[in-house]
Amino acid sequence: MRPTMRRKTWRDLRAAWAQSLALVVIVALGISSLMALTGAYRDLGASYRHTYDSLHFADVTFRVRAAPTAAAAKLAALDGVQAVTPRLVVDTGYELPDGVPIRARLIGIASGQQPAVNQVYLLEGEFLSSDDPQGVLVESHFAKAYGLHPGDTVTPIIMGKKTPLTVRGIVASPEYLIVSPSRQEVMPSARTFGVFFVALNELQRLTNAQGKVNEFCLLFTPHADADAVVKAARAVLTPYGVESATLAKDQPSAAALKLDLEGYREMSNTIPALILLVAALSLYVMLGRMVRSQRQQIGLMRALGYSRRQVAAHYLAFALLIGATGAVVGAGLGVLLARGITTAYATELGIPLIQVRFYPDLLLEGVLISLMLAALAGWGPTRAISRLRPAQAMRLNPVEALARGRRTLLERLLPWTFSLTVRMALRNAFRARRRAASTWISIVFAVMLVLMSWGMWDSMNYMLDRNFRQIERWDALAVFSQPQTSDALNDVRHWEGVREVTPALVFPVTLKADGQHKDVLLSALPPDQTMHRWFVLDGVSPLKALQDGGVLLTPLLAQNLSLNVGDTLTVQTPFGDKKVVLRGLVDELYGSNAFVGLDTAEAWTGAPVAVYTAFYVRAEADRLTALKKDLFRLPGAASATLKRDMERDWRSLMNLFYVFMGFLAVFAGGMAFAVLFNAMTVNVLERERELATMRAIGASLRRIAAMLALETVVLWLLAVAPGLFLGWYVGDAMMRSFSTELMTLQAHIETHSYVLTAVGVLITALLGALPAIRRVGKLNLAEATKILT
Amino acid sequence: MSAIIRLENVTKTYPMGEVEVHALRGLNLEVPQGQFVVLLGPSGSGKTTTLNLIGGLDRPTEGKVVVEGEDIARLNDRRLTQYRAAKVGFVFQFFNLIPTLTAAENIAFALELVTRDRKAIQERTAALLALVGLANRGNHFPSQLSGGEQQRVAIARALANRPSIVLADEPTGNLDVETGRQVLQALRDLNRQEGVTVVLVTHNTAIAPLADRVVRLHNGTVASDEHNPHPAPASALNW
Repeated sequence: MRPTMRRKTWRDLRAAWAQSLALVVIVALGISSLMALTGAYRDLGASYRHTYDSLHFADVTFRVRAAPTAAAAKLAALDGVQAVTPRLVVDTGYELPDGVPIRARLIGIASGQQPAVNQVYLLEGEFLSSDDPQGVLVESHFAKAYGLHPGDTVTPIIMGKKTPLTVRGIVASPEYLIVSPSRQEVMPSARTFGVFFVALNELQRLTNAQGKVNEFCLLFTPHADADAVVKAARAVLTPYGVESATLAKDQPSAAALKLDLEGYREMSNTIPALILLVAALSLYVMLGRMVRSQRQQIGLMRALGYSRRQVAAHYLAFALLIGATGAVVGAGLGVLLARGITTAYATELGIPLIQVRFYPDLLLEGVLISLMLAALAGWGPTRAISRLRPAQAMRLNPVEALARGRRTLLERLLPWTFSLTVRMALRNAFRARRRAASTWISIVFAVMLVLMSWGMWDSMNYMLDRNFRQIERWDALAVFSQPQTSDALNDVRHWEGVREVTPALVFPVTLKADGQHKDVLLSALPPDQTMHRWFVLDGVSPLKALQDGGVLLTPLLAQNLSLNVGDTLTVQTPFGDKKVVLRGLVDELYGSNAFVGLDTAEAWTGAPVAVYTAFYVRAEADRLTALKKDLFRLPGAASATLKRDMERDWRSLMNLFYVFMGFLAVFAGGMAFAVLFNAMTVNVLERERELATMRAIGASLRRIAAMLALETVVLWLLAVAPGLFLGWYVGDAMMRSFSTELMTLQAHIETHSYVLTAVGVLITALLGALPAIRRVGKLNLAEATKILT
Repeated sequence: MSAIIRLENVTKTYPMGEVEVHALRGLNLEVPQGQFVVLLGPSGSGKTTTLNLIGGLDRPTEGKVVVEGEDIARLNDRRLTQYRAAKVGFVFQFFNLIPTLTAAENIAFALELVTRDRKAIQERTAALLALVGLANRGNHFPSQLSGGEQQRVAIARALANRPSIVLADEPTGNLDVETGRQVLQALRDLNRQEGVTVVLVTHNTAIAPLADRVVRLHNGTVASDEHNPHPAPASALNW
């Protein structure tokens, strides 16, 4: 490019600095969203992998009834096995200082050294020394929840006795990055489930299991044949009663993290794509308008002898400069945001080894996308105008320069209704269809982006409210490891403050159909119970479905098993395989719920008397804390949970999601302002002579501001409905794509969110018009009334 | 006749980069009520600046611009806006009609600045359209009118609020000769029939015989000031 042209490019940018800045912001927001969300997704994945690799996360974990520690040597000798850690794992209880019982897991590991497999990462304090039977390492989530530090005393219940242990260290474990007791309980439960690492020999002594272990954690050699190793290991352990063999991918925490990461991947793909799409369209519209406003200059350049290519190159350079600046700003912002998101997310989850990297390919992708967007946006109008004959481009015919005025349809239908100001606003809104369309599109996108982010927030709240207010109608839930009889049930029914108790059988099963299988927790409830309400999406009523011996599944579960209502599936239970018919799909917060009638499940057990493994209790609010303690003290109680605690855990888990949604809302708001600011500014710039004339003949700035505001309101009125619809539609699609087995999501947007979004965008649009209105106030009327464009 | 416009020692300096351009250098000018004045001069002589100062579109660097006894240079922006709406009518070279309003609505737009009486607005609009010979073109949008018709609508708009002064800046600059004559005649007729003071700026000396008075500006000052006791009709003008 020639030096003078280069100077002109810079000066054009400087002359329209505010608009150029807004375009840079739009590009930067698009690119930074790509870099931040995709970068954070990759960082999180890398952090998980790094943590697993560094801490030698087990490739498979065998659970046996009881085995001698020496069996580990046999496993270590197998082909494909790099290391084996035998350990004793005891699920027991823990009484909080206020007497409230919770579940605890004691894991006995060899003291004095890190285990070869499933190491722990010391965050605070020191590792267990070999001569310290009273020492304990506390898993970090539990320690954080209850403010535990080295030197504190914890008292897990071992063999029915509270056993004081001294906290030596706070550790992170690759098995409990998300703290879940089992594969079926995907909900993190740091406040109600504590994990403690103690000296193996001491735990063996305390549980009368000297020399015995019940878990073997195996680490494979690189390139080992996993199936073959598992098969060989199973053969070695069969004499000791193999209860389960859990591969790394099925390990509860790893599986939950995978689900979490999957949801995040969808978000990191969809949101930047959406923001980039909006950025691309805005850039196209705005740059096009800026280039067209220089029509005369283009004609002049052509008249002076500049070739079409040179003219096109000049305006393309203008666009590319904006794109490049946006890319640089966006990339910088994106890298910072990615670090922030990864660190916040990983810290909140308790991922000990955070990996934050710079991704050159993402930067390159971002820069290329920005430049392509800018080039595409600048190319079309430049090409069209540079093709005009110079005389045509420069022509200053005041008659031809006039926009065509016409009465709007609304006026023709209701000619008596509107004042001149309203008529003018209506006509201005539609006088230049391209301009009106671009402003309209800007408003539609702004409404869509804001509602989408707001709607996700609402949807999440709705899902939680619905689950904890409408679906789950119990106050306390007791789960038993030893079945309870009707006697225990009747006892609880007569406790003080208890209003109603519903027994249930809850046990892990594997659902099989069409060659696929899913491990879930099956709940068997009386068909006419009122503790858990079923919202049927498809199929017969829950009462009929369960009375007929059928099963109810969540849609996601049915989909994963390729099942339709009416299909038969196999339920692999501890009492044998059972065939059942899928009689209905139910809408639940959890993605993997399955229900059968209590009678059906009792028949499966073959027990001579009715037995139960869970009690759903409804009770007086002031008795709940005491009720929880009493339930946990029942013989064979594995856990006692209050619904309000469960809800608090869920909402706490959602904090990160809320932060993310807030971040998205700020992005959407920033984008909306930049887009609308440009649209409004160009709207005014293109009509400077007209507005100056109005000022010259005595129209006050207030009147002109009112007219411009009214024009904005007219376009907003037309854009708000499609914008809200698009916001709902895209939000719904996104929520569905984020749905995992952990939770089912769908758009549910509150009425006030629609209203606030619409009003918020209107205010943003009016604020976006303010600089333009100020510009009208500062117009040199003598000059501006002579401008002919 | 009393002076409706009085410019006393008016200077106007524009900063142009690092230099200052002196558009007016101590200009003195008095225009009596009802006079048709043509300000003549080459480019850069200061004629448009003078017009802008009288119209309240610009402020002098020094000196007074007194209109109907009030120094408008001292008015704030709000009062200056009111002054333009009530006392001045503008006719621009490029007509400057609002493209989204019909001819009648363009006139009504100016009227609505001073009254809300719909009936009065309608009647005045119709009368003005008739006055400029466009009674049957009121519902046409500017893009449906010829240049001459647009300029006549602009004149009607300028007269809408019965201003005491009409300021016309090169009103024939974008019109052919015949249309230009019609526009000039319309201005002359309005001056005579309504008693409106007209200040017309042009570089076209052929227009001068139309005026009661011809003021030639040169280099920001009055070079000559001639009274014309026998103004020619527009039809006699040729350029």
